[in-house]
Amino acid sequence: MSAGFAAKRLGKELQKISTSLPPGIELVTAENFEEWLLDIKVLDSNPLYENETYRLKFRFGSTYPIEPPEVVFIQLPDRPIPIHPHVYSNGIICLDLLGQQGWSPVQNVESICMSLQSMLTGNSKNERPPGDEDFVRANRQRPKDIQFYYHDNDV
Amino acid sequence: MPPPNTPEEGALATASSEPSSPEPAPVPLTAPNSPSAIGFAEFKYIFITKLDYQAIEYVGEVDDTLLCPVCRTPFISPITTPCGHTFCRECIDRALETQSTCPIDRQRIRKTRDYHLCPLIIKEQLDRLMVKCPNKGCNHQCPREHLEGHYKRRCDFTLVQCTGPDCVKPITRRVARKRLGGCMHDEVDCRHCGDKVCSMELDSHYDNDCMGRVAVCSDCRQVMPNPSMTRHKHEDCPKVDAPCKWHSAGCRVFKRRELVKKHEAEGCSFEVISRMLQQQAEDRKRLDEMARHVARCEERHARREARRAARAQAHATAHGTNNNNDHRSIEATHSAAHSAEPSSDGDGDVGGSTEDYVLAQFERLESELEILRQQSRDMDARQSHIILQHAAHFSDQIAEIGSKVGVVNMHLSWLMSLQRQSRSSTAAAAIAGAAASVASGSSSGARPGSSDGSGWRYSGDDRRYSEGGRPESLHRL
Repeated sequence: MSAGFAAKRLGKELQKISTSLPPGIELVTAENFEEWLLDIKVLDSNPLYENETYRLKFRFGSTYPIEPPEVVFIQLPDRPIPIHPHVYSNGIICLDLLGQQGWSPVQNVESICMSLQSMLTGNSKNERPPGDEDFVRANRQRPKDIQFYYHDNDV
Repeated sequence: MPPPNTPEEGALATASSEPSSPEPAPVPLTAPNSPSAIGFAEFKYIFITKLDYQAIEYVGEVDDTLLCPVCRTPFISPITTPCGHTFCRECIDRALETQSTCPIDRQRIRKTRDYHLCPLIIKEQLDRLMVKCPNKGCNHQCPREHLEGHYKRRCDFTLVQCTGPDCVKPITRRVARKRLGGCMHDEVDCRHCGDKVCSMELDSHYDNDCMGRVAVCSDCRQVMPNPSMTRHKHEDCPKVDAPCKWHSAGCRVFKRRELVKKHEAEGCSFEVISRMLQQQAEDRKRLDEMARHVARCEERHARREARRAARAQAHATAHGTNNNNDHRSIEATHSAAHSAEPSSDGDGDVGGSTEDYVLAQFERLESELEILRQQSRDMDARQSHIILQHAAHFSDQIAEIGSKVGVVNMHLSWLMSLQRQSRSSTAAAAIAGAAASVASGSSSGARPGSSDGSGWRYSGDDRRYSEGGRPESLHRL
């Protein structure tokens, strides 16, 4: 029943997404209700992200939308991982919205994409999070199992 | 799942039998004397699947304000929170299981206790939403409040339990209504053709498969098996109205098929255009195919380039430590050959890949050969070194043996001289005795004396050697 719940909600979202999406967000693939790929662009002229497109991978569990989906950036030849103090170089995103605490079932794929867009737009630091290398080397956890400490309210 | 807000049947609902109706005062089950035969029969059917409100399709766009923010469907039994937000009952229950705050503004909410009734105006709006019946084959549309009644009591396509006494398989209500009694999954004989047919499928068998039942075309009076009738009407019957063969190009002729045939035979003016259009479509298809082919080729080319680059890099790292100059030069010629090659191989997946494969094999063999050569060189050096070591040992031993042979030689000559000396001394004594007895200082005695002189010299040498060396050499022997 709960798996059906996620599928129904995702079906509705997909219906809406495939007809209209805000500028700078594009659906790449959504062949099932487990994994979707979307492209996002930063629209204003932030020199860090200008003319770049980033690929996002969404993974939905059977508890979606009660629990957040797993969202990471993925790297492809023409899809880099954006440089941002809250984005690790393996694509893992530290954003309270995507954690158990900050998530709300009212959020959806579109609103996540827009939040990430604005997270990138508002950034002016050309740096990775502190301890990025160690984290990337040592991390074997799924993003949702990582305990992030959301300390920075500016970005 | 509770049905939506006040899912009440209209005035037609004579036998209100909703088992899960939220209405507090369900109408008591109809008395056995009142219902008609049909009503009783319908009441008897036990429907199998519940109506899933989240899956139903709405007619037209539903206003966004009526959508539950959690499930994104129009509210189903909505409730309102103290902070004024409205959710489906089921959705808010789920959401509060993990986080006891309002999903929208994160104010604390207690499950059930803090739920308020949703304003009736919202319920009314929801009730009026037009929905489609979820049953396959049913085209019924009605306001949402009437759907439950339609689905449970009237829709012909709702699945109900089979009328067979022991059968639990579902059948649609339409089938159940037609034949009362007996399992609908039993096989029966078709009365027209004698085939065994599942009784539920008997109707579709008559319409589609049965060749025993004949029918007469209502237009041309031709007699044929029933299933062929539809095809006949659509394709053959000369009395049925049909469009011209070239109607896709714009021909407006639409009259009885026999007249259309005549029109076509006389030459439809749209034929030329139609043929041209067909040709164009084919051309476009070919063009598309070619474009796809080109794209594939380009992709392959790019892949090949990438592979080649990766290989070159791997070689460079592998031989960077080796410092083998002539090896590098071989590599260089290889890569030169490679860079010259792509211009020659233009197309063909198979050709390209086999060529690549052969080249790769060649390179591999080359490097293996080089390794073998190196190994044999090493082996050579090692062998000669071993041989030299052994030879040194042997020459030492030979030298030692040589010296021992020398010693033995000396001993032998010493012993020989000793013997000779003792023999000559006895001979001398004899001679001396003879000389003493015969004569002394005669010239004839000088010849043996001179020969003895050499013997004396020998013995003198020997003595000199034996005085210092004899104990040692004896010890050594």
